[in-house]
Amino acid sequence: MKDNSEKMYDGVTDIRDDLVENAKTQNIKPPKMKRPWWTAVIAAALVAAIFAGEMLMPGGTGVNAYAISEATYPEMAQYPDEYLYMHADGSFDSEGFSAAFDPWFEDVQAQRRPDGYADGLEAYFKRSTEQFLSGAEGENVTYSPLNVYMALAMFAELTDGESRAQILSLLGAESIEELRQQANDVWNASYRDDGAVASILASSLWLNQDVEFNQETLDTLAENYYASSYSGEMGSDDFNAALQDWLDKQTGGLLSDEAGEVELDPETVLALATTVYFRSKWTSEFNEDNTKTDVFHTASGDVDAEFMHASRSASYYWQERFSASYMGLESGGRMWFILPDEGVSADELLASGEYMDLVLDPDGWTDQTYIIVNYAVPKFDTSSKFELSDGLKALGVTDVFDDAVSDFSPMTDMDGIYLSQAEHAVRVAIDEEGVTAAAYTVMASAGTGSPPEEEVDFTLDRPFIFVVTNPNNVPMFIGIVNNPA
Amino acid sequence: MDDERIIELYFERDEQAVQETSGKYGLYCMGIAFGVLGVPEDAEECVNDALHAAWQSIPPERPACLRAYLGRIVRNTAISRYRALRAKKRFDGTEVLLSELAECVPSRNDVEEIMERKRLSELISAWLDTLPPADSALFVRRYWYGEGVSELAQECKCAPRALTQRMLRLRRRLKTYLESEGASR
Repeated sequence: MKDNSEKMYDGVTDIRDDLVENAKTQNIKPPKMKRPWWTAVIAAALVAAIFAGEMLMPGGTGVNAYAISEATYPEMAQYPDEYLYMHADGSFDSEGFSAAFDPWFEDVQAQRRPDGYADGLEAYFKRSTEQFLSGAEGENVTYSPLNVYMALAMFAELTDGESRAQILSLLGAESIEELRQQANDVWNASYRDDGAVASILASSLWLNQDVEFNQETLDTLAENYYASSYSGEMGSDDFNAALQDWLDKQTGGLLSDEAGEVELDPETVLALATTVYFRSKWTSEFNEDNTKTDVFHTASGDVDAEFMHASRSASYYWQERFSASYMGLESGGRMWFILPDEGVSADELLASGEYMDLVLDPDGWTDQTYIIVNYAVPKFDTSSKFELSDGLKALGVTDVFDDAVSDFSPMTDMDGIYLSQAEHAVRVAIDEEGVTAAAYTVMASAGTGSPPEEEVDFTLDRPFIFVVTNPNNVPMFIGIVNNPA
Repeated sequence: MDDERIIELYFERDEQAVQETSGKYGLYCMGIAFGVLGVPEDAEECVNDALHAAWQSIPPERPACLRAYLGRIVRNTAISRYRALRAKKRFDGTEVLLSELAECVPSRNDVEEIMERKRLSELISAWLDTLPPADSALFVRRYWYGEGVSELAQECKCAPRALTQRMLRLRRRLKTYLESEGASR
């Protein structure tokens, strides 16, 4: 009795003659891949300062910024560069490679969290995105729901009473414990730093050395939110420089200009800084030779933009007002492109929120098909910086801004303190050339179904929305590209 | 000597046909047999059996492509011999090859019909037609000619790991294809 593998062997044996013949003459090298582009280099930073209503009396100890505690991130093995395991004679040290690959793979898996931890955040994603990105009026704007989420969750830890309740309500959480666990899952599922992909959420607390803080709360933040704490003389050049350096370092130098402008006043009790740094390649690269200059239609007229082109089998989604598709990222996440139909504005889509339903649960979307998609994606490098305070108030987080009602009791016994600023800066670039070494192998993607019979052109030549997600469809960055030039 | 003339010799029952075949395709047949059996002596016997089988089957058969015809006989002879020898000794290469092929088997209850030899080879041929030529050739080189991953990787100038991943994708695609074909009937 033959088993199925032998039946398969027999089936292969009897394939057509021409297939057997051609196999010996046909070149088996896959079509040449060009040097990959870095897909996306993105950095977001949020600096929120809590102020004292009255002038603080300096203690005059003169101690400059020093770290009270530094967060320790999960250890992650480096992605093994398989070219290092190729011998000069062309043979391959598979044992050595496996020895490096297996720990890396385990570490990546260890960061994964099962779907579902972000349940309840849907309304926050929709409402906050509409709040912060609407009304861009021709400007490129980007917002990091993840970055703001981490900052808000930490603020919930620092506050109590109605101040905390307002934040919990916006984030759809029942309790601080629930939020803490969720934030920890979000952090871990989004974290990756293995040399091939960087996706790092960093947080730090900048403490006024003249104020006594509740150590227990600081410990909670360090433990669950991977937050480092620094204490020093508020308003001093050294302390400002330390904060600027920290921001610059955590955002890979992408936000140097913005970070350089961050200064804290002497009245600041505590400043919270959170950042997201993300760098990943596409799972399938664009061929540089196919990049061409073409017209992008902005609201105020046509401009020239560099369009990257690729055709591949992909899922394509539509709805009466937009079409959408995504490209896989080596981080395990996706970069979505949402193209409003002609005559439909990005703001209309932000208001309806349906695009977010798609991003959060693409499998549940009815109008989708798997076909050949001819992508034309403009390269862009945009940065935006804005103050979140008004937006957060509009979203119902009001008490922390008002020194008469704010409750920061878990943080300190001081009265009359309030949130004075919340600056959010984001930069996104998808046109950077990558490290030239073709060192990182493209990871295997799942097999495809039957070959597509149709194809569709997906040309992003008018304002569009992009969303970068983590491996569980959690939106890390959302932006509107109104003008890529 | 060209293949048509060799086939004529078979039809004339001229034993020179076997010598000519052996001279022209002996090494090629050895390669395939060795790929399955892994022992030169076994492979040699297998090729002798295959040449004998060719002598007996032509005529009445008149192969359109002698090379593929012979290779097929060698594959059939080799796998039979492998099966007979398996009780005594195992050749890892073929174990690997068979376990890879097992991954292509559709995971459905009603695989009987689709696993029927003629139908299966038709489906595999049709599936190969849908692939880019380089992928089709790679699949045949690995699973028909039985060539090793490291040799193929060298020819592709890529790391074996990368080639393994490419093969893995191909096998998954074949499985998906067979499942969808089985489902559509």
